[in-house]
Amino acid sequence: MTAPTPAGTPPPDPRAGRFDQVVRGLQVSVLVVAVAAVLGDVLHGPAGRAAGWVLLATLVAVPVLRVLWFVVRWFRRGDPKFAFVGLGVLAVMVAGVVLSR
Amino acid sequence: MSLPVLALLGLLAALAGSLGGIGGATLLVPALLVAGMEPTVAAPIGLMVVGAGSLASGARQLNEGLVHHRIGLTVELAASVGVVGGALASTQVPEQLLAFVLAGAALVGAVAAFARKGMRNLPQAAFGEEAVTGEWPGTLGGQYRLGDQVVPYQARRVPLGMVLCLGAGVVAGLSGVGGGFLKTPAMSEVMHVPAKVAAATTTFTLGLTAATGLLVYAGQGRLELREGAAAVLGALAGGLLGARLQSSISPVTARRLTGALLLVVAAVVATRAVLA
Repeated sequence: MTAPTPAGTPPPDPRAGRFDQVVRGLQVSVLVVAVAAVLGDVLHGPAGRAAGWVLLATLVAVPVLRVLWFVVRWFRRGDPKFAFVGLGVLAVMVAGVVLSR
Repeated sequence: MSLPVLALLGLLAALAGSLGGIGGATLLVPALLVAGMEPTVAAPIGLMVVGAGSLASGARQLNEGLVHHRIGLTVELAASVGVVGGALASTQVPEQLLAFVLAGAALVGAVAAFARKGMRNLPQAAFGEEAVTGEWPGTLGGQYRLGDQVVPYQARRVPLGMVLCLGAGVVAGLSGVGGGFLKTPAMSEVMHVPAKVAAATTTFTLGLTAATGLLVYAGQGRLELREGAAAVLGALAGGLLGARLQSSISPVTARRLTGALLLVVAAVVATRAVLA
């Protein structure tokens, strides 16, 4: 990119915004949650509960996996400061769950 | 409460939440309580709706370069510490006092959103059509597309923003709501992050808040999965619709919408506290 930089800001980076894998993962997750929610409402008994747990597991796992994806990406691309910030957030989440028990 | 009504409430909460970047639990949980649901059941359903709304909005907001993960995780590091501290201290704070603190905080956020005129971050003609939207590696800056122009921005006053998000986390942990209604104004009004980016970034962080809360509630056996599934179905539709609408409204409209939602939150929470 050859555009001049606005005063006081770093230069724009052409690699910005290329998160195709995450976008696809999120789209698939929405489908999984939607199907699980429908089955959780329609089915009764153990099958309905199983669908409910799939829904719950997806809602919990996807944000965590999204952060992990960025942590790995940032470590690989030489941006360790923010990778450690991501790891810190995950560590606080785990600590919160442990302390609340 | 019937499942279709739950689905409709989930849709409306997630639509408002993803448009204004305030999550949705702050609107949904009071509505469920007014409808007669027990607080111990309503709070987990509220978090399921927040998680679903965040998930549904995610792909579109990410595709459009509206989510800044570095800003989101930086403020979330402070906010999540506050959430844990607030949750652990929640039994020591009178519920009515907490409600007034929540209402006051929402009111301050609303006033800040309405007080500012125009746009702080303006499109730069120097950024041509070839510009790629998103966050810039190693920084808390980035650029997003506004119509056929590109708007660069840089987060400012980050330490103050983190302190405010720590406070938002404490309030969220004390009250059991996501805290997005405090984080979005902190990002946009204090850190000078564009309103649309602040809303999308907060929506991303609320997914993490919801995940933590749901794990806690699951451990406590407080999840009603059937009712939650109905609300989540509505929330998915609301989140998708909210993300679509968000990309078509102006930053000023987004900020005013957030302000209006915050006024509603303040009124609902204060009314509940007075009636209690």
